[in-house]
Amino acid sequence: MVFEAVHYTYASGVEALRDVNIEFRDGEIVALMGENGSGKTTLLKHMNGLLKPTKGRVLVDGVDTAKTSVAQVSMKVGLVFQNAEDMFFESSVYDEMAFALKNFGFTEEKIRRRIEWALKFFELEEYENTSPFLLSGGEKKRLAMAIIMAWSPPVICLDEPTIGQDSLQKEKMMHMIKMLNSQGRTVVLASHDVEFIAELKPRVVLLSAGEVLADGPCEEVLTDMRLLERASLTPPQVVALLKRLEDLGVDYRVLDVEGAVEKILKVIRK
Amino acid sequence: MSVLEGLRFRPGNTFVHRLDPRVKLLTSVMILTTAVVHIDIILIGLLLLVEAAVITAARVHRLWLRTVRGAVPLALIVFIISFISQYSREPSILVSTGFALAYSFRLVVFLSSFSLFFLTTTPDEMALTLQKMKLPYEYTFAFVSAIRFTPVMAEELRNVMDAQRARGLELDKGPFLRRIRNMIPILVPLLVNVIRRSYELAEAMEVKCFGASKKRTSLRVLKLRRADVFFLCCAAVLFVAAVAVKVLGLEPVKLYPNLGRYFPV
Repeated sequence: MVFEAVHYTYASGVEALRDVNIEFRDGEIVALMGENGSGKTTLLKHMNGLLKPTKGRVLVDGVDTAKTSVAQVSMKVGLVFQNAEDMFFESSVYDEMAFALKNFGFTEEKIRRRIEWALKFFELEEYENTSPFLLSGGEKKRLAMAIIMAWSPPVICLDEPTIGQDSLQKEKMMHMIKMLNSQGRTVVLASHDVEFIAELKPRVVLLSAGEVLADGPCEEVLTDMRLLERASLTPPQVVALLKRLEDLGVDYRVLDVEGAVEKILKVIRK
Repeated sequence: MSVLEGLRFRPGNTFVHRLDPRVKLLTSVMILTTAVVHIDIILIGLLLLVEAAVITAARVHRLWLRTVRGAVPLALIVFIISFISQYSREPSILVSTGFALAYSFRLVVFLSSFSLFFLTTTPDEMALTLQKMKLPYEYTFAFVSAIRFTPVMAEELRNVMDAQRARGLELDKGPFLRRIRNMIPILVPLLVNVIRRSYELAEAMEVKCFGASKKRTSLRVLKLRRADVFFLCCAAVLFVAAVAVKVLGLEPVKLYPNLGRYFPV
């Protein structure tokens, strides 16, 4: 998936993306980070062709999204929206999941197998016949992912997967993202949840006012105080703590607690 | 949809924006009445010019033009119908065109008469106006929230459509019946969202003590200023003149037989 000099301007005149160049490689986890209005969601909507660039182009598997239908691209790039409820309309979880599969022309037999697999993967088997509206917040979010994963797109994009989730749900989400990635899928997520990303340690693309500020490993981007400030993000707590101890000679470029403990102990032992 | 574009308030700070909303409402009613009373092509044209002048003074002419452009398909239908009906009475292409032009032209003026009010009046001012007209506050509130939530609903509709298209729903493909059926995945989530939003709004209103006291006071009280009175007087003079022309039968089409031959009297 390649973004080539992509510009996007909304009908209202707001310039949401400016000269965005990103290459997403197969099997990667990439986090798009930035404050509200930095262009994360706009960028995600370009990935399956819901939005077409006003200038530049987006290639998915070598095909220009402007020259094909959203449904065609969606087979390859599954996009999970922030608000899961925007898509529910069937009376049971099973029918809800079957909807997209029917649209894509799967056979009945295949639909049943795919749904069974996805329900199991996302721990929703017991709700097969429940109305999607009756699920809890975390379950709805998982169902939204299950719906997309049922047709098994090689790329999955998640918009703010951790918003409104408690820590247990977040942990599950983290686990599922890692599992999907270990099956060889590319995962792209838009998030401003710095702690969650610091724990996941993906490649980070930092956005601000529609421009790419930085693109690199999590350990580099999320420990660069000046970059984070420009993107209006607070550094992860571990980094903030170690930064305070910098005067004592502690290296603050660490994202996890284990690493931080090690760095601090190193200074104390000295 | 572009007809409705012209009914949405955009912030501004011209003298038209600052006018008392009641004055603007009255002026709009007068424009509407004149357009209904007259069919004289010259007078309708003059009316349109006056309207355009005020709207340009308020710097909302671009939006107003969009409304006018949105009204074109409707005006075209009126044009065709009145052309056919006139032609069947008197088979002359020139006369029928004149008649059809006058009727469709009047429709455009008619449709855009309230632009002046809606384009330059905040929802709050509309609420104050309705309250001054002694409408119960519950109705005023319902009306104003309907206006205020229109853009929110449009945004929600777009989100739902995006979410379903990402699941392979193709809205503009297939036979007619299939397209109708395709609306279900769009309408159900939208309806659910609207109902949920209305409950939330009700709760938020109760938290803010909606209806706690019988007598409501307003932060801003509408008061006629000198400029308002002046503007209203100008509008009233023009209106009276227009009505007088009608009553006395002094319309240009009646005075000039040449004009009356091609345009409706």
